[in-house]
Amino acid sequence: MPKLSVRTELLVAFAALAVLAMLPAFTSSKALVDFVIRAAAFGLFATSLNLLVGYGGMVSFGHGLFFGLGAYSFGLLMQRTGLPIPVAFALTLVISALSGLVIGAICVRLKEIYFAFVTLAFQMLLHSLIVSWVPLTGGDQGLLGGIPRPTFFGVNLANHIHLYMTSAVLLVVGLLLMRQIAQSPFGYTLRMIRDNPGRTSFLGVNVFRTKLTAFVLAGVFASAGGTIMSLFVSSAYPDFAYWTMSGEAIFIIMLGGTSTFLGPMVGTVVLLLLNDVVTRITPHYGLVLGIVILLFALGLRKGITDFIVEWFDDRRTARITAADAEEGAR
Amino acid sequence: MTRKKSGLDRRSFMALAAGGAATLSMPHIAGAQAKTIRIGMPTILSGRVAQLGTSSRNAAMMEVEKVNAAGGLAGRPIELVIRDSKGQPQEAARVARELINTDNCEMLIDAEASTGGFAVHEVARDLGVLCMHTNSETSSLTADPKLRIPNAFRCCRQGIHDSAAGGNYAASIAKAKNLTRWGVVSPDYAYGRDTTAEFLMYLKRFAPNVEVITEAWPKIFQADYTEAITKLLQAKPQALYSCLWGGDLTSFIDQSAIYALLNQMEFFAVNMADYTALTVVKNLPKGIHSGNRYIKTFPQTPANAAWGDGYRAKFNEYPTNWSWQNALVVNMLAAAAKKAGSADGKKMAEALMGLKIETPFGADGTVTMRAEDQTLIGYAIGWGTTIPTEPYVPGVTPGDWKQILELEAEWKKSKGWA
Repeated sequence: MPKLSVRTELLVAFAALAVLAMLPAFTSSKALVDFVIRAAAFGLFATSLNLLVGYGGMVSFGHGLFFGLGAYSFGLLMQRTGLPIPVAFALTLVISALSGLVIGAICVRLKEIYFAFVTLAFQMLLHSLIVSWVPLTGGDQGLLGGIPRPTFFGVNLANHIHLYMTSAVLLVVGLLLMRQIAQSPFGYTLRMIRDNPGRTSFLGVNVFRTKLTAFVLAGVFASAGGTIMSLFVSSAYPDFAYWTMSGEAIFIIMLGGTSTFLGPMVGTVVLLLLNDVVTRITPHYGLVLGIVILLFALGLRKGITDFIVEWFDDRRTARITAADAEEGAR
Repeated sequence: MTRKKSGLDRRSFMALAAGGAATLSMPHIAGAQAKTIRIGMPTILSGRVAQLGTSSRNAAMMEVEKVNAAGGLAGRPIELVIRDSKGQPQEAARVARELINTDNCEMLIDAEASTGGFAVHEVARDLGVLCMHTNSETSSLTADPKLRIPNAFRCCRQGIHDSAAGGNYAASIAKAKNLTRWGVVSPDYAYGRDTTAEFLMYLKRFAPNVEVITEAWPKIFQADYTEAITKLLQAKPQALYSCLWGGDLTSFIDQSAIYALLNQMEFFAVNMADYTALTVVKNLPKGIHSGNRYIKTFPQTPANAAWGDGYRAKFNEYPTNWSWQNALVVNMLAAAAKKAGSADGKKMAEALMGLKIETPFGADGTVTMRAEDQTLIGYAIGWGTTIPTEPYVPGVTPGDWKQILELEAEWKKSKGWA
């Protein structure tokens, strides 16, 4: 995506939010409203993973940890403390940031496959903790009794449209913040580390601190996604912190593309559509998904947005080359 | 240009208008009465327990045909809208919401296993629609007042009932054969842990000499049971309890046969007496003690045998434990609609409280939806021993519902739920 000014990006974000806000006025489809809420949860989760994978070159197999942590932290805070929703949400982000700091301090020093597997180990540790700490978490039955949603500033999250609007705001604000992070000097340093950590280090950059910051930030955004999901299902389940959740996020960014900022969001929408349509038609969802993975892995060998961006680049290059050749001939 | 005179005088016009108004309103009422009622049914149609989900779907559809032939729910024919949740709770929640919000279903038959069942329960709490849980046996779903909602009911077995009946039966065998040293092999998740603890609680209550000397907790859907089998062989208990189920139970029995494990001890497997397990084990050992799940010979009535045979004839497979529960729910809903004189979810929920219906699956030919905790009681419950061929469990000792209910009340009190 070309670099835009902060003002332009703010305008784009505002326009996107306006479109989302107006959507319920044009359709009575509750399925569409549900779809946007789920897309907000998974979109934040997948885009935050892309901060690590696409921008930082850190392939985390355990990113679902933060999705699950967000869902459980928020759910438990609401069930047990009776705090107002914004306070519980802020505390959830703080808990995720602190957890990210501790886990990241151990993981980001590791390289490639070791990083991937240690993050996976931490995720499975959280999953085991959730399953075995039954009095607190409800074990494998998840948080029972629903998540209370007291009204705050006139917002009643028990109302579906209010939940939709809140999710849309969180999605747009989250994406905007991640975009600013990716386009900031910090984001470019992260790319530099991804491409050549040794050289970056020689330039005086503290590689560990930069990677750790990215890890913490990605965890915070993923936990925001988990919070939205917990509000949607009015509970939290161990599956949210299981390795398959991380696998799903990896698949989303593979599907959508890692080289563009909105690639994971596109992947999220496509995967959710695929899920919703295919499960209506056949119980062989896994088979269809497997074929789609094969098509992308063996056919396109890149994500949807990567493919589109490259296609436009190729066309532009061809046009310039043709123009140059024409000029040369004259 | 001459103005053409209308062929209607004022009186005729008024009569026609009144008739028109009547046609607009009356057929609307008649249409509403005859309008199909859509019932959403999230269940597991893919993955390792797909067979159970399919058997739930089959049984429900079979009964819907009968209910529709008899006039449907208060005159409205039922249309089941069945969706796969893949056994994932968040997917079960999504599908349940979609069934109500998009597919215009007016109520839910939640044919999920426990985890998905709790997720659908939260959706029912959120949307306020009538929800019938048909496969979740975890007692807390209806026993814990904190979880209870006025629009959700359990129309299936319950763990605490099985444990009370099983503990009492096992204690009588333990005392008769002097089985004091017991082992456990159960799946390591909430259902396995809770059901085992409850069974042992009642076993020890009725046979205080019993001591558990070894425990093995394989993961759910584990492929290899060698570790558990070796542990049990080393400890040499006189009797073994298990609440493994489905493919896990059959794999365990098949793998145990290599070590002749079950020849060395009495085996109590609560989930054995279900055709899905009975017909799949390669060499079904004689003498396994099991609670009934679904067998057409218990209750030994013509109605039950006819239902089992009818299912098998229609689908060319045996019904399962999930089948009778999903068949029953359709009849329960039909009876509730009849009592309420309406297919409105709220009115039906009120009618369901304390509703007693005749059914082939009742211990005495009837079952009751207990009003105090919106859960099913009086269904056929009993224990017996297996033989390798049909009827697989020839003599089932019926559980004593009076005693089961007394023990359940005590248990609820101990939990602070009564």
